[in-house]
Amino acid sequence: MSWFSPRGSGPRKEQGRVQVEVEPDVHRSLALAALCEEIRRRKLTVLDLGSAVGSNVEFLSQYGCKLFIEDLYAALSARTPGDGGDLASSSFFGEFLSVPEDTRFDVVLAWDLFDYLQRKELAAFAEQLRNYTNRGALIFALISYHKTIPAQPYRFRIKDEQHLIYERRTGAERPSPRLAPAEVTNLLKGFRVDRSFLLKHGIQEYLLVRE
Amino acid sequence: MVWKKSDDPPSPQPQPTPAPRPMAASPAPSPSPAPAASEPPRRPSERATIGPSIFIKGDLSGEEDLIIEGRVEGKVDLKQNNVTVGQNGRVKADVIGKVVVVEGEVDGNVFAREQAILRQSGAIRGNITAPRVILEDGSRFKGSIDMEPPKEMGGSGPARHEPSREANSNRSEAAGVKATA
Repeated sequence: MSWFSPRGSGPRKEQGRVQVEVEPDVHRSLALAALCEEIRRRKLTVLDLGSAVGSNVEFLSQYGCKLFIEDLYAALSARTPGDGGDLASSSFFGEFLSVPEDTRFDVVLAWDLFDYLQRKELAAFAEQLRNYTNRGALIFALISYHKTIPAQPYRFRIKDEQHLIYERRTGAERPSPRLAPAEVTNLLKGFRVDRSFLLKHGIQEYLLVRE
Repeated sequence: MVWKKSDDPPSPQPQPTPAPRPMAASPAPSPSPAPAASEPPRRPSERATIGPSIFIKGDLSGEEDLIIEGRVEGKVDLKQNNVTVGQNGRVKADVIGKVVVVEGEVDGNVFAREQAILRQSGAIRGNITAPRVILEDGSRFKGSIDMEPPKEMGGSGPARHEPSREANSNRSEAAGVKATA
C-alpha cells in the first residue's frame, strides 16, 4: 500500500548491505521498570516511535494505555533528500504523527532512535515533541556507548517489566554517535533527565521528563 | 452476485462464535439481500463472503459473520458478528465487529467489541479500538490503539486481557469490563 513504507525499509544511507538474522539478546532494563511504575498509576497516552511489535502492544494492553505507533526511523528512511521532509519542519512532524491536534502524549518510547538522528535532528525532534507533550511527560530512550551500533535500530520487544529483548535487524554496523549525558540534556531542550541507568552491556537508559 | 454463502471455516477464527444476536440498530443501508420470508433461518455457523472480484461502494450491515476478499468502500458495521478482511480484501472505511481480523488492508478505523487481530499479512492505517488487540509481527500498522471498548458499541465487551500482578489492583477500569458472549 502506498501509505506504508516498503517492508524492511533499508537503513538510512546504508543501502545495499546484506541483512542477517542474529540471535536476540535479553537485557535487564531498569528504566523500563521505572516507567512501568509510572504507567501503572493511570491510563496514559503512549507514543511508540519504533516499529509495531505485537508483544509490546500486548504488554501495554495490561495498562489500558492509548497507544500510538509511529515508526519515525522508517518515516525518515522513506523520505527523499530535498523533499522538505526534515524533522525541523513542523509540517513533516505534523504529517508524520497525524494525530488529533489536542493529542498530548504522557509517555514517548524513543527506544534507541536518538542514536540514529543527527544532532540537529535530535534538537528539532525535542522542539517538535514539546508541542505534543505536557509537563511531566516521559521519554524512554537508550543510548549506546559502543563504538559502533547496528546500521538500523534494534527492534525492542518487552519481555516483562524488567527485561527487553534486543532484536537486530541487520548485521551491518555504523559508527555510534556516543552521546554523552550532558549532550543529551543540551540537545533535548525542555526535557531533563529524570533517571538514567548505565547498564553492563554498554547501553545507557534514560527517562527524560518534560519540564 | 454479491454475496457468496459458505460454511467453510474462515482461516482466522480466534474463538468459537456464539449465535448471532439481533442488532439494536442498523443505521446504514445494506447492499446484502435480505432473506426472503420463505427462507429457513440462518444457522449460527453461516457466514457471508464477498469474493475477490466484488467491489462494493456503500455501507454494509447485517447479522452474520462476514469475510471480505474483495473491495469495500463504505462502513462495515456488524457489531454482533465477526468480520474478517481476507488477504485479498481491501476496505476503505471503518470496520465494526465483535472480532475483527485483518489479513488484507484496511484504510480506516477498526472497532472491535471483543478483539482486533492484525495478521502478519495485514495492514491497517487508522485507529484500533478494542479491549484486546493482537498485532502479529510483520504486520503493518499506522495509527493508534485504544484498548477500551468503543463507547458507541455499548461498552459491554468481554473480559479483557488480564493485567498482571499489582497492575490488576490499580486498574479497576480495565477489570470492570465483562464478557457478554
